[in-house]
Amino acid sequence: MFDLQKNDLTRDEFERLAMKHVDPLYSAALRLTKNERDAEDLVQDTFLRAYRFFDKFERGTNIKAWLFKILTNTFINRYRRSVKERTIVEGSERDAVHERFISREATEYAANPEQFFFDRLLSDDVLRAVDSLPIDFRMVVILADLQEFSYKEIAEILDVPVGTVMSRLYRGRRLLQKALAAYAAISGVLRGPADGEPVDLDAFRRRQGKTA
Amino acid sequence: MSSDPTEASAVMDCAELGRTLDAYLDGELAPPEEMEASVHLAACEACRALADGEAQLRTALRNKLKAAMGPLGGAGQAPDALRHRIHLSLVQERKPFLRRVLGPVPLAAMAACAAGALVVLVSHGGTDPLVEESVRKHTRDLPLEVTAAAMGPESIAGWFAGKLDFNAAPPHFRGTDVRMVGARLSNIQDRPAAYVRYDLPRGHLGLFILDDPERRFGEVGRAVQAGPSTIRLINARGFNVAVWRRNEIVYSLVSDLDEEDLAQLVQRAQGQER
Repeated sequence: MFDLQKNDLTRDEFERLAMKHVDPLYSAALRLTKNERDAEDLVQDTFLRAYRFFDKFERGTNIKAWLFKILTNTFINRYRRSVKERTIVEGSERDAVHERFISREATEYAANPEQFFFDRLLSDDVLRAVDSLPIDFRMVVILADLQEFSYKEIAEILDVPVGTVMSRLYRGRRLLQKALAAYAAISGVLRGPADGEPVDLDAFRRRQGKTA
Repeated sequence: MSSDPTEASAVMDCAELGRTLDAYLDGELAPPEEMEASVHLAACEACRALADGEAQLRTALRNKLKAAMGPLGGAGQAPDALRHRIHLSLVQERKPFLRRVLGPVPLAAMAACAAGALVVLVSHGGTDPLVEESVRKHTRDLPLEVTAAAMGPESIAGWFAGKLDFNAAPPHFRGTDVRMVGARLSNIQDRPAAYVRYDLPRGHLGLFILDDPERRFGEVGRAVQAGPSTIRLINARGFNVAVWRRNEIVYSLVSDLDEEDLAQLVQRAQGQER
């Protein structure tokens, strides 16, 4: 009857292992749900589900990757439907911004000092640029370039083949570079090429928080 | 692609390098492929420039993402309220979780046993400075001054004897999985105290022992009858704390255990001392 190995000890162990990763999980949740309330709910759901399935967690393996997998699944199951419509709209807007505004490939910036426009970008612009990516690309970029998971870990988290991870990452990074360049140009950090193209009005208005 | 590195330069051309550049920069190529890429880059100035540019861009991108969404960025930190919410929801989750694992019959049996062991005498709200400070100091996890492994668990009381002007004899919890780890001097409310740390199979206990002739401490929480003596159980900051008294000496045991297990543990320790 006197069992020291169950009850609060399990919870204690779980909290000790899992709570370390609450910041990165919240950060990712915020980029998935795009608002703080949903992000908090998503992270809380993630922890609860992880705790319920803690006996399935193999001790000694990567708990961070395991938690991210649960976060992703929880998001897809519970939140994605409500976010979907918004994503479609944002997607078309985003393409419009890119096509009208950006004429040069972002990789061209790599060859000249303008790549350092990154350094002067505001964090808010970075967040907007990340949020503008279609969700599959957004997730892969966050997992690879922010959380520094390996391709194999990302493949396990998202339950897709490694080849898919690589192609999404390739496209996602380039979309992100374009979006960053677009925001850099809008905020005047980056001058447009040559004499510059006309500033995209819709994007500008949206940035100002007005209805386009 | 050949796996023989000596053929590498002949095998990987610019197009192939372009296709594998991402994986190369991410450190994801298998050793033979990585070797081929390196050999090609060493020989091809154009690809080297491309790779260097890409690498710089990637570093800049990663730094930017970290600044905006990493642990130091505003959008990278979970609010304290969320941490608290998670903790509370996990505490509440405990019961259904156990019910599922153990099934309804053992749980009923367990509840009956627990009811027999714990009879609530009086319940008193509020916080106690002793409990508050015990939990705070226990969680800070300060280094131990002596270890039971080095001097033997029986000698810990002797180690305290020269340093405290009361008899701080730590219980040994014989016959359980509780193992004494070591001790250090501490203080509670500016009174010198003995601190003894115990390990459980998972988790640990921290016991504070101090003398309290004025009986300032230990009158909060639920008083329960555990065997021959009365102990008080308090939940503070997610820890269950048991406080009991033997004449002028007060014991405050901070634990990861649930109330029933904690009460039984204390009862067991006291039974042995008598």
